[in-house]
Amino acid sequence: MRTFLLKRLPSALLVLLAASFLIFLILRLIPGDPATSLAGPDAGPEAVAAVRARLGLDQPLPGQYLHWLGHLVTGNLGPSYAIGGQVADLIGEGLGNTVELALGAVVLVIALALPLGVLGATVRRGPVAAAVRALTTAVLAVPPFVTGVLLVLVFAVTLRLLPPGGHESILDQPDIGVQYLLLPAVCLALPSAAVLARYLGDGLERALAEDYVRTATALGVSRRRIVWLHALPNALPSAITVLGLQIGQLLGGAVLVEAIFAWPGLGQLAEQGVLRRDYPVVQDLLLLLVAVYVAVQLLTDLAYAWSDPRIRWE
Amino acid sequence: MNALSRRSLLRGSAAAAGLFALAACRSAADSGPTAASASPRRGGTLTVATGIDFTPSLLFAQSANTLVQRLVFNTLTRYDDQLKPQPELATSWQLGADGKSITFELRDDVLFHNGRKFTADDVVFAVKNLQNPARSAQLRSTAAAVTDFRKNGDHELTLLLTHPVSNLFDLFEFMIITDSATVEDAVAGGRLIGTGPFRFGERKPGASISLTRNEKYWNPGRPYLDGVEIRIIPQADSLLSSLKTGQSQLSYNVQGKDVATLGADPRFRIKPYDTGAGAYYIGVNVTAEHVGDKRVRQAIAWAVDRDRLVQQALGGYGLASSAPWPKSSPAYSDANATHYRHDPDKARELLKQAGLGPITLPFAHSATPGDTAIAQILQYDLKQVGIETVLQPTDSPTMQKQLISQSMPALWTLSHGFAQLHPATLAVSAYPFNEARNSSHFSSPAYTDIVQRAWNRADSDSADAKALYQQITDTLLDEEFVIDLAIGGEIEVATAKVRGATLNKFNYLNLDDAYLTA
Repeated sequence: MRTFLLKRLPSALLVLLAASFLIFLILRLIPGDPATSLAGPDAGPEAVAAVRARLGLDQPLPGQYLHWLGHLVTGNLGPSYAIGGQVADLIGEGLGNTVELALGAVVLVIALALPLGVLGATVRRGPVAAAVRALTTAVLAVPPFVTGVLLVLVFAVTLRLLPPGGHESILDQPDIGVQYLLLPAVCLALPSAAVLARYLGDGLERALAEDYVRTATALGVSRRRIVWLHALPNALPSAITVLGLQIGQLLGGAVLVEAIFAWPGLGQLAEQGVLRRDYPVVQDLLLLLVAVYVAVQLLTDLAYAWSDPRIRWE
Repeated sequence: MNALSRRSLLRGSAAAAGLFALAACRSAADSGPTAASASPRRGGTLTVATGIDFTPSLLFAQSANTLVQRLVFNTLTRYDDQLKPQPELATSWQLGADGKSITFELRDDVLFHNGRKFTADDVVFAVKNLQNPARSAQLRSTAAAVTDFRKNGDHELTLLLTHPVSNLFDLFEFMIITDSATVEDAVAGGRLIGTGPFRFGERKPGASISLTRNEKYWNPGRPYLDGVEIRIIPQADSLLSSLKTGQSQLSYNVQGKDVATLGADPRFRIKPYDTGAGAYYIGVNVTAEHVGDKRVRQAIAWAVDRDRLVQQALGGYGLASSAPWPKSSPAYSDANATHYRHDPDKARELLKQAGLGPITLPFAHSATPGDTAIAQILQYDLKQVGIETVLQPTDSPTMQKQLISQSMPALWTLSHGFAQLHPATLAVSAYPFNEARNSSHFSSPAYTDIVQRAWNRADSDSADAKALYQQITDTLLDEEFVIDLAIGGEIEVATAKVRGATLNKFNYLNLDDAYLTA
């Protein structure tokens, strides 16, 4: 395994290096630059030149690139240009908030999809079945930016039950934090919950048509027991696969939901970084995402190698 | 089967009820504004909503978010509504007979938040700090006119100037007094240490800034508030919801069309500032094809319907004006504001005189929804007189780079500041109007001469000074390298509970006298 890992590691590092070069280059190709952005609309060329010198942007591009790589290698990501503070702190805080939102959404996805999926598979006719179908279709059809606005309108503006946006850490103040989390998490969770409910319902329906269910029914086992203890465990694996895929989408969707609910996560940080041409923040954030994908790929390769000796020996 | 489903539903409902029960422990949603009483009251935390985050590196520049400047810091003097300087950290001042010096008596009872005493050295540092180009201070040219300092003890200071400066007190309204030892940390995103009514607490970039009452503030009994929470809410609709739900109580970032709807709601108090936070304009690159002829620029000035723009794009909150000055400016006159009215026939006639048939011009604008709406209104107006425009939506950093590098297309629309101060400041500190170098590539010895004469004088309100301001305005209205459209004043939207909040001429939020009613 160690040999296998050593073989894979150089290519992973090469991917990271190539990604860092592309990220650095693409950011420089985007029109506008941090110095003019920071100097403000009424700044003269002298002020812009002074800001550019302070940020080190007057240095040749290869020098700037190496300077950035130096920061990465030493683990000191350095200061942000425009947002303020250290990049590592900004990314750390944003990541924590995004993960908090995504985890809240995952809990809700499971909490909503499980009963809806079971209902969809067990109640085939009547108003409940129609309601479940209509609900999942509607939730899938309405984009999160519409759902978000509607949720704010109903629960924050009209009923005044929950805050319309913002963030309080759920670890620091659980009772307040959960209120801030609820609306964005619901907004983020609804489409994924609808998808998962449908997959779960279909899987459960297939499981309920199996011979062992008929046998269990003939033996007098209660319907509830058959559904929850026999059919559902057989329907879960495919639903879990779908849930895994949905988690990736949740992280992507968080960018939009963060904007609607003023949730200070990675999505907002990336948006602010790009809008203000905060090169260090955007560079490090994008490279972090690439690194995550590379790491996942590496772990997947390792898992395959662990499970199949032929791959190890290739 | 159905019994099972009902149970599931009941359990689901119970879980949902549980969540709401948890939410009911302490509410993060405000119960909303209540009936207000008018007497000042100690205590409470004011929550201010803003669409734009504070940029630490722009601490010494006028930027889109200048809320914290006057909360954490003080200035030497502050303007009243008539641009008359009033004491703040300076108790009195004496201008030299030749206008080339000014002597300040400073307060001797002021402490920085770190406990250090405020002295004349802090004023010396503040001026030198603004002279540093890296601070991006728009009033750097005025600060640079100060060449020497003479201290007489710790609380008397004379500034020596190279020449008389008519906008000297604009500098003292603008210049915050910071703790010299921590200023580099402050611009890098660290703590801000000043002498102001509130101590800098915690900043969560992109989310919030919290400030707590300075118990040792030099102004007795002030501030009334225990703290201030500034919430960053970039989405306009979310910011509006935050106000409507009572989560925030004060904002200066509500868009004009939304202000109009809140204005009819008794829970809110709307206060437009006529100081002119910014003026909307069409910039013209005079080196571009067709628009080098000032008759074409004047035709554009006649072609645009400023009143429609104010109504449709600014929700009625603004002053249609062909000159840059707000009503509070000594350079303002109704005649200047209405010099160009909506007259398409006159515009066509001028284009004819310039020998032009239908023309097409590139027209850049900021890609925000508000600025796009303004560009589309202007595009329609120009089309009526035979000027087709190709809109170029551009993001803010790109536009700023083009502005500063003088690479704008033939036309663009943006907003400018600095007309709310003494008129010389506009021509020496606002880049679009700068006589030495501007985005329009406009230069004229006559314009430079007038600007320099208006700036290099000690008095700013005399008849002679006002005559010079009028000459500046006449030049601007004749040359039209900046075609002013409307003065968009800052609009304060506050719940009925909030009293006493004010802005200075640079939009620094002043909450010394602010309080929340019971």
